[in-house]
Amino acid sequence: MTTLPLEGIRVTDLSRVFAMPYFTAFLADLGAEVIKVEGLQFLGADTRLGGPFGGPFPDNIPGELHWERNGVFHTLNRGKRSITLDLNVPDGLEALRRLVLVSDVIVENFTPRIMKRFNMDYPNLRQLRPDIIMLSNTGYGHTGPFANYGGMAAALEPTHGTGAFMGYRGGPPNKFANSYTDFLMSWTAIFAIMSALLYRARTGRGLWIDVAMYQGGVSFLGEGLLDYAFNGRTERRLGNRHEYYAPHNTYPCRGKDRWIAIAVTNDEEWHALCQVLGKPEMSHDPRFADPVERWKHQDELDDIIAAWTSGLDHYEAAYRLQAAGVPAGPVLDSRGLLTDPHMRARGFFDWIEHPPETGVGRRPQLGRPWRFSSSQVPTPRPGPRLGEANSFILQELLGFTQADMGRMKEQNIIGNAPLGGRISQAIPIEKQLELERLADYDPDYRQRLGIDGASTA
Amino acid sequence: MSEAEPIGGVLSGLRVLDVGQGVSAPFCTRLLADYGADVIKVEPPEGDLARRTGPFVGDEPHLEKSIPFLFLNTNKRGVTLNLRAETGRGLLHKLAGWADVLVENTEPRQAGDLGLDYETLRQANPRLVVTSISNFGQTGPYRDWKATDLISCALSSHMYLSGDADKEPLRNALSQSLYVAGINASAATMVAIYHRLATGEGQHVDVSVMESMACHLVQATATYAFMGGVRRRRPHKGVPFEEIMPCQDGYIVPSAQTQTFETIADLLGLEELKDPRFATPEGRIINGVALEELVLKALAHWKRYDIFHEANNRRLVFGVIQGPEDFYRCPHLRARDYFVKVRHPVAGEAEYPGELVHMTEGSYQMRCPAPLLGEHNGEVYGRVLGLCHEKLSRFRGLSII
Repeated sequence: MTTLPLEGIRVTDLSRVFAMPYFTAFLADLGAEVIKVEGLQFLGADTRLGGPFGGPFPDNIPGELHWERNGVFHTLNRGKRSITLDLNVPDGLEALRRLVLVSDVIVENFTPRIMKRFNMDYPNLRQLRPDIIMLSNTGYGHTGPFANYGGMAAALEPTHGTGAFMGYRGGPPNKFANSYTDFLMSWTAIFAIMSALLYRARTGRGLWIDVAMYQGGVSFLGEGLLDYAFNGRTERRLGNRHEYYAPHNTYPCRGKDRWIAIAVTNDEEWHALCQVLGKPEMSHDPRFADPVERWKHQDELDDIIAAWTSGLDHYEAAYRLQAAGVPAGPVLDSRGLLTDPHMRARGFFDWIEHPPETGVGRRPQLGRPWRFSSSQVPTPRPGPRLGEANSFILQELLGFTQADMGRMKEQNIIGNAPLGGRISQAIPIEKQLELERLADYDPDYRQRLGIDGASTA
Repeated sequence: MSEAEPIGGVLSGLRVLDVGQGVSAPFCTRLLADYGADVIKVEPPEGDLARRTGPFVGDEPHLEKSIPFLFLNTNKRGVTLNLRAETGRGLLHKLAGWADVLVENTEPRQAGDLGLDYETLRQANPRLVVTSISNFGQTGPYRDWKATDLISCALSSHMYLSGDADKEPLRNALSQSLYVAGINASAATMVAIYHRLATGEGQHVDVSVMESMACHLVQATATYAFMGGVRRRRPHKGVPFEEIMPCQDGYIVPSAQTQTFETIADLLGLEELKDPRFATPEGRIINGVALEELVLKALAHWKRYDIFHEANNRRLVFGVIQGPEDFYRCPHLRARDYFVKVRHPVAGEAEYPGELVHMTEGSYQMRCPAPLLGEHNGEVYGRVLGLCHEKLSRFRGLSII
């Protein structure tokens, strides 16, 4: 077994919700020891409890140990250790101070005033440990007039510009799905922390990283900004069409809400498309003779292509087009992604075994977008049980005594079950379908995924 | 390896070859360059594909005026090299001996023809980290499929969740899947370089555009894997929060995830919102249509920035829809010195978006504009590889450089 790149690196992770927990999950995949610091009173801020759709729970049943059963929580917190602390009481702060002394990296995503209030902002941490690397993630960064505004991807994503640039043709701004900005920041944070670790290895120096979701998000849209700076051109919304290429769109396929994406980028692909459509004569049609003509006549092209795709399964149409060299792909839903033959062949999904007492069982989970030839990342452990590492970390690593532990237990600082916080109620599946929050429901999803061993893929 | 003095950028001293074209690999290496790495961009004699991709400065197609190219290649030196010729590949492998990192995004089936396959590069330099970005990865049944940003958004399932439920799935503009693959390649490259400190060995890093985007599907994949539910695009009606809503002079995103719902009722001046029907998140979803009507009515009296600031001052996390002109005027980005002036000898001067993240030491620096085609041929082949003047002109004559 080869060593993992981050073996020996200890990360104390105070972060909540999505972007930063996901970031540190990848550090754990890569071998770092990630200590997730949770608060028994404050779990509502994290994904253990979740919102109305913040589950999902196994078969939509929260269950007795509901805070150990949330599917999103496990994806975001796999492979970590969990301790519980309350920074508002002296014992909690003392534990954090001791953690800093033995950590390489501290990650937090409180609003800027919080760590200052605890005297645990970078200048203070640096006094404790001069080579500490600290990463702070906020909505707008620690300086500037919006510094104290809260950060949440659902609101920030359109604020940093994606909304303006996407939408149906002639329609209002729209949103990129999945809390897009959160993930931009997860990836950005990995890049930043790895750069900082390299810098520390070469110079012995730590540093502080200010990850601002707003500014970071804008940085991914530079082409659009520079088009304005040079040409004064503002955003335009083209649906799935392209500035230059045509045909370039999504087309309906056989079945409910089934689509295929097709993008023709040159003459060779165009001629191949005409062949696949069974219309070789279209290759010579003057209306479609070159990219400019095709772009001008794309309404007609879209009709012709849709007439062909609508009778076909989305995979079948894609296979035929790709075989002829035309860029195309089915628009997969989450079921399609989890059973996609390519993703399965790549071994993309991790099959996580959950501890029996939680009743979660074995579930597939998103893996990583990169493979390293020198290290195979082992299948991660699930997200940690709440406070499972309290005695290991607090007593063995940080030197708290049995008496200290007793006191902290009495003060409700340490424990293994949430105190307060809203317990989310699962909305019945039929209701979710009726409200269009779910497109579909497969009672036989376990068979389709091969959860119980028999894989369909 | 352990001097106590600060050095320039956090990555200064790191030597990188950018043998990529278009967006993903150039964005990856630009990030490395922004934080101090010495990046040499290796282009075919006709130039990076991005040079022929619009929009162009002044809408004039020109190899030195492509806006994507100008944005993606600042802080790099640039050389030309014909990898279709054996001599060209020989020079590349010499450069590989100089470098710590090589980033490429050739189609996997073509990498060998261009001397970019890992086995060949490893022989040239066993300590080299080779990062390959491709649409579907270096293995698997779709390895040789063709894709653009649109196709990757479709196959990664990102698109199925974007747009309106009663319309077709919607793609983002501005090649986002390629930027996401680019930042992932930067992250993974740094992991491999860090690993090299311990092992002394280089390695091959395989980055997939489809998988980079698929990793964003946390909620949707967990919903299926845990309960068999297929998540979808936003319903046409009945979702007034965490979605884009019109106001008097534009659009905003109201959010109900922080503070109490009463704070929102007070902000909007709507007593009706205190109805117990709306008191819980579940209630707001089940009574969404009625709620949306009320919210729309209230927002019609607000200007976008007024409500954005007022809500945020009350610790409600509201968003505001902004376009490029808004960013250049944004007092917050200005206060953080986000924009940097760059003067390019052919394209002219403009303010470029700058720092991705701020570091207290060794942070982002803008040092130079994107290179002209072959601008640093003499400097790189002469000083880095030590080729004599005569050889250089012979290679020029043979269209190798």
